[in-house]
Amino acid sequence: MSFFSALQDNPFLLMALAAGFAASFASGIIGSYVVVKRIVSMSGSIAHSVLGGMGMFLWLRRTYGMEFLTPLQGALAAGLLSAILMGWIHLKYKEREDTVIAAIWATGMSIGVVFISLTPGYNVELMHFLFGNILWVSHSDIALLLSLDLLIAAAVALFYRRFLAICFDEQQATLQKAPVHTLYLLLLCLVAIAVVLLIQVVGAILVITMLAIPAAIAGTLTHALWRMMGIAILLGALFTFLGMYFSYELNWPPGATISLVAAVCYCINLVCQRKRAS
Amino acid sequence: MKEKILSIKHLCFQYDSMPVLEDVTVDLLEGEFIGMFGPNGGGKTTLLKLILGLLPSQKGEVLLFGKPPKEARHLIGYVPQAIRLDRAFPICVLEVVMMGALKQLDWLGRYPTSVRRKALDALEQVGMTHKAKAPFGTLSGGEAQRALIARAIIDAPRLLLLDEPTSNIDPEGERSILEMLSQLNKTMTLLMVTHDLQTIVDKVGKLLCVQRRVTCLKTTEVCEHFALGLYHTPLTSKNHFRHQ
Repeated sequence: MSFFSALQDNPFLLMALAAGFAASFASGIIGSYVVVKRIVSMSGSIAHSVLGGMGMFLWLRRTYGMEFLTPLQGALAAGLLSAILMGWIHLKYKEREDTVIAAIWATGMSIGVVFISLTPGYNVELMHFLFGNILWVSHSDIALLLSLDLLIAAAVALFYRRFLAICFDEQQATLQKAPVHTLYLLLLCLVAIAVVLLIQVVGAILVITMLAIPAAIAGTLTHALWRMMGIAILLGALFTFLGMYFSYELNWPPGATISLVAAVCYCINLVCQRKRAS
Repeated sequence: MKEKILSIKHLCFQYDSMPVLEDVTVDLLEGEFIGMFGPNGGGKTTLLKLILGLLPSQKGEVLLFGKPPKEARHLIGYVPQAIRLDRAFPICVLEVVMMGALKQLDWLGRYPTSVRRKALDALEQVGMTHKAKAPFGTLSGGEAQRALIARAIIDAPRLLLLDEPTSNIDPEGERSILEMLSQLNKTMTLLMVTHDLQTIVDKVGKLLCVQRRVTCLKTTEVCEHFALGLYHTPLTSKNHFRHQ
């Protein structure tokens, strides 16, 4: 059965595509800020630190029967915590920023590994979150994805120009009495939310590709941030679709295939850009 | 009598235990055009940041229009070096200039309609109207600096602070920026950090030599050695003075 006929017959595949498109919306918007503000490594650190939260919540659920806790909630909590911590370090101790990013990256993962080893049973659920399994999304996951998308859209609609100002020239925004610290922390929290959304699609390890690559390609095609966001959303959706197509046809893992498609397109764009410049 | 718009008294500042500024006392009167120069690490940028209120004064006093700098920020415009900004950033010139009125955004994040008009007026003042829709990254060094000057003057500040606005610009661009600043000086007070004394010495009213301590000089007191980076204050010999 081909991918297209499977799409008509298999509701799981359609749900997976819906999840991919929902995640592309978040990655296009927030990824554009991540690229222009040059906080890709910070986003990578947030993406990897969520493992600590996922591991802890799964451990609490399995060991103490706290059924209301899910790994996704753990990821969101850990992502927000590490975003605020990194933002605070950036604002107060700029000179130590790169060390702290690396420390949070490693600490989050270490906590995750410890909790995974403490959790009884085989943690297939965590493996899905680590490497992504878009075919695994449920109706409630889609509902969560769409509500977080809505939250990101509302926040960016309200703060578009203020975020633009702090990304372009933080010092000027300070002189204009903009609440630079609050805006910066809010932006990092939105990055954490986008990371959690993308974990559903490509997993925590590969999340940075979907956050940075569509926006990085879009940035070479336009000179306006809002247009960059639009193009990045379309590219993210395209990569998800192509990734799922190849994943189905070649029987490869979907998350990794989506990331690979994005990476190949990035390389093609780099070559085209060089040719345009020469 | 002209109003005193900047008053610095016995200001000291140090990073960790390294003193950067010592016992600085300076006054700036309305309508003046002052150049600030000195060696690298002499404290120019620190002094500028203290005037802007971006750094807290540790000892002594900085008053702008009789108030602490943070309370008088709406009366000053600041022009950083264009080279400090990301030229790959996806933004057009008009958006950059409108950022000078960021505090006028309403809670929905929209500028009042008057801001766009003011931004276009500011661009006209710096001769950049035709570049309003151009991407900021495509501007030349001089044009980018003009765009940043337009951003700083969008709200008609009374004091304009400029951090080396003519560095990394060709001589022609430098000349036209200095002419434009002379025009702006008719409506606002200017304080400009510069390395190029030879170019500005005829444009400014007086000069501040910042070398941990600050010495105020008349333009006729500027020594030719300064152009070589050999700053020596206080001046000792009449033979060293440049006579106009």
